[in-house]
Amino acid sequence: MASDRPVREAENRLERFNADRERLLSEVERRVVARRVAEARAGGDHSLEYVLNDVAYHEIRRLEASRAKNGAVERWKDLSRRLLGMNDDEKVAELRELVRFYGKDVVGNFDPRVYRFATGIGPSLIGFLYGPMSSLREGVSTLRHLDARISADGDIDVVRTCAERGTIVVTPTHSSNMDSPAIGFGLLRAGLPPVTYGAGKNLFSNPFISFFMRNLGAYRVDRRLRFELYKDVLKEYSTVLLEHGYHSLFFPGGTRCRSNVVEQHLKLGLLGTTVTAYKNNVREGAPNRRIYIVPATINYRLVLEAETLIADYLSETGKSRFIITDDEFSRLGRILEFFRKILAHEGSVVVRFGRPFDPFGNDVTDEGESIDRAGRIVDPSSYVRGADGEVTDDDQRDAEYTRALGRRLVTAYPRLTVFHSTSLVARVLYDAIARTVGTRDIYRLLRAPVAQLGVRVEDAIAGLERLRARLAANPAWGAEHPTYARESAAEKLDDAVRGLGTYHTRPAVVRQGDLLQVEDVKLLYYYMNRTAHVPPEDPTAAGLRHAAPEELS
Amino acid sequence: MTRADTVGIVGAGTFGTALGSVLARAGRRVVLWSRDEGVVRSIQTSRQNPRTPAVPLPEPLEATADPRHLASAARFLVLAVASTDVRDRSRELGDVIDGSHIVVHAVGALAMPSNERVSEVMAHGLPTLKLGVLAGPALPADLAPELSSDAPSDRAARPSSDGVTLTSSASMVVASVFDEVVAEGRRLLNAPPSLRVYGSKDLIGVELASALSGAYTVALGLSDGMGIGIGTRAVLITRIVAEATRLGIAAGAQIKTFAGLAGLGNLLVRASGASPADAGRSADYRLGRRLAEGGVPAGAAITEGARAAIAGAELARTLRVRMPVLTGIAAVLAGKVDPRDAAKLVMDSVALEE
Repeated sequence: MASDRPVREAENRLERFNADRERLLSEVERRVVARRVAEARAGGDHSLEYVLNDVAYHEIRRLEASRAKNGAVERWKDLSRRLLGMNDDEKVAELRELVRFYGKDVVGNFDPRVYRFATGIGPSLIGFLYGPMSSLREGVSTLRHLDARISADGDIDVVRTCAERGTIVVTPTHSSNMDSPAIGFGLLRAGLPPVTYGAGKNLFSNPFISFFMRNLGAYRVDRRLRFELYKDVLKEYSTVLLEHGYHSLFFPGGTRCRSNVVEQHLKLGLLGTTVTAYKNNVREGAPNRRIYIVPATINYRLVLEAETLIADYLSETGKSRFIITDDEFSRLGRILEFFRKILAHEGSVVVRFGRPFDPFGNDVTDEGESIDRAGRIVDPSSYVRGADGEVTDDDQRDAEYTRALGRRLVTAYPRLTVFHSTSLVARVLYDAIARTVGTRDIYRLLRAPVAQLGVRVEDAIAGLERLRARLAANPAWGAEHPTYARESAAEKLDDAVRGLGTYHTRPAVVRQGDLLQVEDVKLLYYYMNRTAHVPPEDPTAAGLRHAAPEELS
Repeated sequence: MTRADTVGIVGAGTFGTALGSVLARAGRRVVLWSRDEGVVRSIQTSRQNPRTPAVPLPEPLEATADPRHLASAARFLVLAVASTDVRDRSRELGDVIDGSHIVVHAVGALAMPSNERVSEVMAHGLPTLKLGVLAGPALPADLAPELSSDAPSDRAARPSSDGVTLTSSASMVVASVFDEVVAEGRRLLNAPPSLRVYGSKDLIGVELASALSGAYTVALGLSDGMGIGIGTRAVLITRIVAEATRLGIAAGAQIKTFAGLAGLGNLLVRASGASPADAGRSADYRLGRRLAEGGVPAGAAITEGARAAIAGAELARTLRVRMPVLTGIAAVLAGKVDPRDAAKLVMDSVALEE
């Protein structure tokens, strides 16, 4: 499954991006304005006055909350005041200006020189970030072994066929801000073309990262802008990119998964642009310009922001926090330290690609033809056609198609999960302390006395052997890291304890002779959660003393 | 008439034929697909289905044995076959349709042995995602009065006690998660005053309600056969609504659906009527009566309602929902419990909570 780089030089459609940039922006502007003007005829919430006022209202609120300079707020207050006296033409002109303004804010750039520099000929992006802070010898050594650090495997041949035949949308699980660079390298390792993607505007605040993001095809998504017009611009931009054949990357889970479970709930907004883009292709008379959705998982041995994410997840208000601006990613020192740790270990990041789906959730053949659940080849354009073969618009239908696609992705992720030693050992230790304390409830375990948080090494090894056997028998739950599948349980345990005990500010677990002492239950829970879809072990079959069965569910 | 205005019906059984008849009489173009070439020939030549000779099948209705013709003539299709045939028919139909077709089923049962809802089975065999269900208190005789034991003229228009003539009308509900399926179902199947079609988004709820109402019809037939009395009968019906709603919620349905047309409406029309003859119109109800008389050996009682009872009881076990009436009737049908013991157990059990 694993492939050596480069398998084949993939066509880099992003090379033509800069030439296309203005055309894409104009197309977004034309479509959003035309749609809004048409909808405004219905009046009420659809009227242009309402749409423009909505923008002004949200911008004023945002800027006042962030204590921005008076001038910035004044611009929107002025718009709000002027709205009452505007005639229809002036409103359309204002709308056009706003759409262009947000469009420009979103649209990225692609510099082939930076791409080559970052991914091949020169030092890598990671090497670049790493190099200036360390000795030359370290940097050279890092580069030599770079290929072994981020590996890519899975159904790469089918994905490549689909990328050549149409446009692919890579849809991975999302754990870390490192995911975008990781998937970029994963694609490169697999001989797949680079993708464009939307990245949170907060990521652009780091000048190093921002430079690369801007020049590697990333576009900016400002999650603070909650008004409909901005969402319109974003979605339309994504749609236009797909129609023009730009391979893309969406994180359908939305923001980084706080708990580290394999995503079960997807946000379908951007995913829905795949149906719209394909429908537009069909309407343009190009039903064979296919769009494919490629499920993927990004599997880390250690996650850079684990401590912040799990603290956020477990805090009472955490689940409603949409943007974390003060996590490990905002501190360059932590990133560099993370790279050092990551690069000290082979295969620390595994990107696994699954078989693509079409926008309606159908599987595809090795050649990229859509097939239905019964295995018949089906014409994907038929899904957007009416009784007489005409292409029909139906937002509710398309949303249902996207939900069906989301369900397929959610079922694909567990099988594509790659378990590092850290997650496996965390699961075994969590199970063990849960048995001792008599509950799997994290909040109760957090209050458990230290004496109950020790696990004998031999019990952990036995538990690890049982877990590995269960995984081997159930490929639908995922698989062990391919490079380390032959390691003994004791070796795996040592590796995990080293990882969990040394990187984070506080060790999750330490070894004290024959005892493994859990020091940070939150972190243990975080890494354990990657196996959350693996059902609890049957205590009777495993011959374990156990808590009440209802607490195991 | 265009393809968009045509209804395709899969299966020339009693319900499919009755539905075709009411639609054709309302002027709708109907294409009826039967695998039985004799039936097709008879409809084409003498405008009658030999299985239901009394039901008129006027000109806008055509019959075909060629599924390709069905798929090309109509985009909106109604699957009207027995629950045991759903899998095979879906596979056959799937060979000729594409993603643009709409398929609603009119099967009031769950699919055995998987206990899946019929739309789930259809999803495995059909390329289209636009699936739905057609259900409600409309027996074939309500659609085609000629199927009734009463004289057609008596059923079609009965004067009420105050002399006002009330026209007999069947009501059904079409449900799907796709608005387009519901809208097209209502547009194409509505044939007032004979058939009124309502819409619902609750596909899961309507399918479960429709299937379970057959099972509960057996239960009511059984309890009527044992002479439980009108008060106890009312208690039983309210408990049925409560437990079916519990199952629906556990399966992801809406709370109100079982109290609607596909659930309670369906049950009342099958298990009650203006006359004893009316109440006996449903095979499920007749089965319940025969069970009470001890006239049916265990395991031989196979109607759609009986299958739904057994499958529904399994589903209740899987979803951990307490359903004393359904599990009681399933136990009787499986020959595990004597009907009288079951009735006592059920009444003791349902009295536990309001």
